[in-house]
Amino acid sequence: MRRYALCALLSLMACSDDSSGPGSGDATSTASIAIPPNYGIHDTFVRDGLAFVSAWNSGLLIYDVGNGIKNGSPSDPRLVSTIVTADRGVPGGAQVHNAWWFHDPSGSRRYVFVGQEGPGVIGRSATGDIHVVDVTDLEHPVEVAFYNLAGAGTHNFWVDEAAQVLYAAYYNGGVVALDVSGALSGDLSSREIARVLPGGQSYVWGVQAEGGSVYATDMLSGLWQLQLAGNQFLVAGGGANVAARFTSDLWVRGGYVYTGTWGQRGAVGNAVNVWQLDAQGAPVLVDSVVTDNITTVSDVEVSPDGSLLLFSSENGPRAGLRFYRLTNPASPRFVSDYLVPGGVHTATFALIGGRLYVFAAKNPPEPALLIVDVTDL
Amino acid sequence: MLAVTWADRTPFGDARTEAKVVHPVVMARFARGPFRLDATLNLEAATMRGGELALGVWGEGFNDRRHPHTVAHELIVSVGTRRWSVSVGKGFVPFGSDDPMSRPALRYPVNHHWSQLLERAVTAAGVRVGPAALEAALFNGDEPERPGQWPAWDRFGDSWSARLTLFPAPGLEAQVSTADVASPEHRPGAGPEHRKWSVSLRAELPRGRSRVTSLVEWGRDAELDGFFRYYTALAEAQLERGPARAWTRLERTDRPEEQRVFGDPFRSVRPHFDNSILGISRWNTVTVGAARTWTWRRAVRLEPLAEVTFARVTNVTGVVQTPEALFGRNQLWTASVGLRIGAGAPIHRMGRYGVLANQDLHGHE
Repeated sequence: MRRYALCALLSLMACSDDSSGPGSGDATSTASIAIPPNYGIHDTFVRDGLAFVSAWNSGLLIYDVGNGIKNGSPSDPRLVSTIVTADRGVPGGAQVHNAWWFHDPSGSRRYVFVGQEGPGVIGRSATGDIHVVDVTDLEHPVEVAFYNLAGAGTHNFWVDEAAQVLYAAYYNGGVVALDVSGALSGDLSSREIARVLPGGQSYVWGVQAEGGSVYATDMLSGLWQLQLAGNQFLVAGGGANVAARFTSDLWVRGGYVYTGTWGQRGAVGNAVNVWQLDAQGAPVLVDSVVTDNITTVSDVEVSPDGSLLLFSSENGPRAGLRFYRLTNPASPRFVSDYLVPGGVHTATFALIGGRLYVFAAKNPPEPALLIVDVTDL
Repeated sequence: MLAVTWADRTPFGDARTEAKVVHPVVMARFARGPFRLDATLNLEAATMRGGELALGVWGEGFNDRRHPHTVAHELIVSVGTRRWSVSVGKGFVPFGSDDPMSRPALRYPVNHHWSQLLERAVTAAGVRVGPAALEAALFNGDEPERPGQWPAWDRFGDSWSARLTLFPAPGLEAQVSTADVASPEHRPGAGPEHRKWSVSLRAELPRGRSRVTSLVEWGRDAELDGFFRYYTALAEAQLERGPARAWTRLERTDRPEEQRVFGDPFRSVRPHFDNSILGISRWNTVTVGAARTWTWRRAVRLEPLAEVTFARVTNVTGVVQTPEALFGRNQLWTASVGLRIGAGAPIHRMGRYGVLANQDLHGHE
């Protein structure tokens, strides 16, 4: 009983319970912004002091967290605007899941790409489009374009901004590459460059372009290395390399890839797999970090300076945020965790005013955008 | 009823045996002039807070366990005549077939959440013309999250239902009903609406010292504009002869598969935060049971019973959670022995308010 009480107290305090390691302090709560329980918050994209909060049918919420447009800061986020993107006939409504504020090579910051996560059967079917929102006037965003892939639904994005190519993980549709150069308007189906189902029957969660390759995590078959050659994807390496668990998110940094796991297969999704990229960029599994008392690693990211690995976790008493030191990137060393009752769906680093923050999507029943200062970790 | 239930297999586990007190209810009816009160107190919150082991049965965040019902199970005041009525309170919505608790089998069917709507704040109106009764209702869409919870009053009226009941001949009752239920599984209201249909035929056929009661029903539940569709078909019959009875039930029902909670494979993650599921499984079940009643001093009824259910579970759309992945195989057994203790009148047909109250299948009141 005492043990449960202590766990509950730790959870309520959302405290960092282990600050071991050189130079490490605590992750400290900076702000918590309640999000309407509609279903809540799914992802956050932070750039130039603006946080683009994907809040399902409440829409895309744009907060000033240090940009200055509304005198906001991480401790005092100010809402700039909200846009509820069109449902485009997808059952369930706007279902705003993720966003990417695109800075093109010319310096234009006109577009935000928004992912719609419609209903689906995980592993088999999905729905939802890519929506393009013009934020030329940040206080009055306007939806201007869309992309639909019939019979499939989009999930996470990565934009190769120099090449002006958006890569979308498209669940049962695999990976899609879109040309996002120039003005975007209406139906973007003609902008499709290529798409691929890397594992045959695939269910692609995440995608990231790095070093001339595109890495994709297929929930069913693991981590793939793809290459965009002209108007087609080539499978360059990886694949069929995670059988014991379902694979979730990924992050590529400095010749390594960190991938999460999800749900329950032979084993539960409590692992982060560490992959080293060989000379051709193909992934080779070198380590796994397993965390007891969680069942999903829902988001993975490395800090901008490459020193910290972060992952968010769900479904279990240790759910929340977890931090590892990457002194040796092949062997992450635990630094600290930050427990959040109900878990965290996604998390992302942001450097604002010289301090390092994590923006975390706290799950229902009381969904919130958590802003945590991790500078001293 | 004290019931000992054995199930083989259980989710992510082996065989399991549990003893629970199930169906602990106190029922009362009061009538004076045009007014009538139907009240049912359900004590499952005290006797089976963690649910009743029942493979295939699901709902309100429970899976392969029947959830406990709310304490105030029925509390309905009706006013009217044989020709018209208005009913207000908390209880059953005029939709679908009889609640399983007042039917022959001990174990609930898989289709409970497709074929009944209950524990809602409801206002219903009914009219009766000859052999036909038409009911329509407004209610709150949210289903309870725990036994002590009352309906979300601010959601009253976000859902509706209508049921046409026909009495074509003595001993026969047919109904067709439809409902539009807003966000039943997400109390704040963000979940999808359920469009429901139910058709059933019920018969009671006395034959000398025996009586045969039977029910056949079909139902459909469509969510997210039909993106998910679930079907159910069920047939059951009971033969009563003196103090003994025997019953059987055949069922084919679809159910959604959802991610289970860490540390409790019988619960799924609540509240939802997206509109995806892990698949649909189809439960083909055969249930047989028998019981005999002894009456003690004309006041207390004791009824030992035994019941066995065989289920063959097939995968309809699942990839990441198939029946084989969940149970290790797709042929499952459940068996129970129990002792039902009752006093006063037998369990009445719940959800029969207003123009359907006091109406048996032979036109008698």
